[in-house]
Amino acid sequence: MRHQHISFSILLLAALALSGTSCKKSGYALPTPSDKLQNEAIKRTLGPNIVGQPIEFAYAMAILPSKGKLVSCTAVASIAGAPGTYMENRSFYTAQNGADVGVPVGTPAVTSGATTTVTYNHDTSAATLRYYYIIPEAARGKTVTVTFTATSSDGESISTVMGPYTIAKMDMKLNMKVSDGNLMYISIGDTAVYNATDAAAHAGSVDLVYLYRNITTSAFNHALVAPAADPQYLPGVTLPTGVNRTAKLLKTFNLNDHNLAPNEQYGGIFIDDIDFQTIDLSNSPNYTINLKQDAGVWVETADGKYRAYIFFNAVTTTGTATISMKRYALK
Amino acid sequence: MEIKIKNMKKIVFIIIVLASNLGACKKTTPVDANGLLITTRRECSVSSFELQGTDFVSVRVGAAIIDTTAQTVKVTVQFGTDLKNLYPQFTLTQDCILDPKIPGLMDLSDLAHPRMWTVISGDRQIKKVYSLLITVQPR
Repeated sequence: MRHQHISFSILLLAALALSGTSCKKSGYALPTPSDKLQNEAIKRTLGPNIVGQPIEFAYAMAILPSKGKLVSCTAVASIAGAPGTYMENRSFYTAQNGADVGVPVGTPAVTSGATTTVTYNHDTSAATLRYYYIIPEAARGKTVTVTFTATSSDGESISTVMGPYTIAKMDMKLNMKVSDGNLMYISIGDTAVYNATDAAAHAGSVDLVYLYRNITTSAFNHALVAPAADPQYLPGVTLPTGVNRTAKLLKTFNLNDHNLAPNEQYGGIFIDDIDFQTIDLSNSPNYTINLKQDAGVWVETADGKYRAYIFFNAVTTTGTATISMKRYALK
Repeated sequence: MEIKIKNMKKIVFIIIVLASNLGACKKTTPVDANGLLITTRRECSVSSFELQGTDFVSVRVGAAIIDTTAQTVKVTVQFGTDLKNLYPQFTLTQDCILDPKIPGLMDLSDLAHPRMWTVISGDRQIKKVYSLLITVQPR
């Protein structure tokens, strides 16, 4: 019994000792900053990477002033950017009003092939430069990496590789004006809108007819209808010679793609290649009527060559609309 | 001391026996194969009906007419409605279930052969077959 009492006491003491150590505050030492040239990069743009659109990066580099100053900053893309690719020669800070304020720190960027360089001409030990890579046609469906390199006056050099980023296969065309009775023939293949004369000249590539009817007995309004659809969906329309293709159409609403509708309040959705690859339009009709602002229509062309998403940015009651399109080549 | 321990053991044993009895008396709640509660309710009808298109916007023209005697739901849809891709939504009286279930968009284009659904009461004893009669608004 006495032994038991002693062993219990020992156990209790051990437990107390353990709890005491668990509460012990661990010491903290300020980290020692590296005295080497350092760098960090982030990608600022969101959503799919579309040919012709920029990918924006912010590249930060710094060295202790006592060790030297920055000499140059270089971005090398694995596929040369399209014209317009450049690097800011200003380093930005955020003012009290939230605005970005640029401070020139180097010479204007020089781009040669896939390499863009800014050479510092101010005594600078820390800066963040922005790099705008305009996605070239050559990158469509491929991946792109960007290697950022900073050099300093003490002979150091440091690099960061960003990516790989998949470049979308799809195209995009914004703010096409359509009007009933005039620019009403839409070609997905050409990503263009034609009047009757031009539609006859491009009859083989006209996929849709835009029309607007204010009918009191039914809600017709704005419509996208394939030329081969039942004539009851093309009231009063005389199709140009040879315009006779069909299509598959699926109506949506409030699918406000952020690329097609960047100013929409709720435009936080991005339609990407995978959406075109996976959507099933096999059971869809060849007409959509009663379309409004913020309506969208998924389209598959008769030859199965393209799928597209057409968004109605704006409509009027006089038979005009502004549409934007993302298009994906299936073949 | 020994007597006290023996008494203690008896008390613990009695508590365990009582606890197990309490557990045995617990009422089990009947649920169906879908995990839905089977109740005593015998009401069996459709109380409201909605029909949406691919854009999940209603395609109805006016309210659906529900006839609980004839067991029909009559609805007129807008001109140009894509009848092959419609999303019917039934609201049933309390505790009822619908059979078959609605998986999402459905092909309701065969107007000559209306689709039928069975409404089953909360006690799962009463079944009523409702027909969905669709009319397309003229242009």
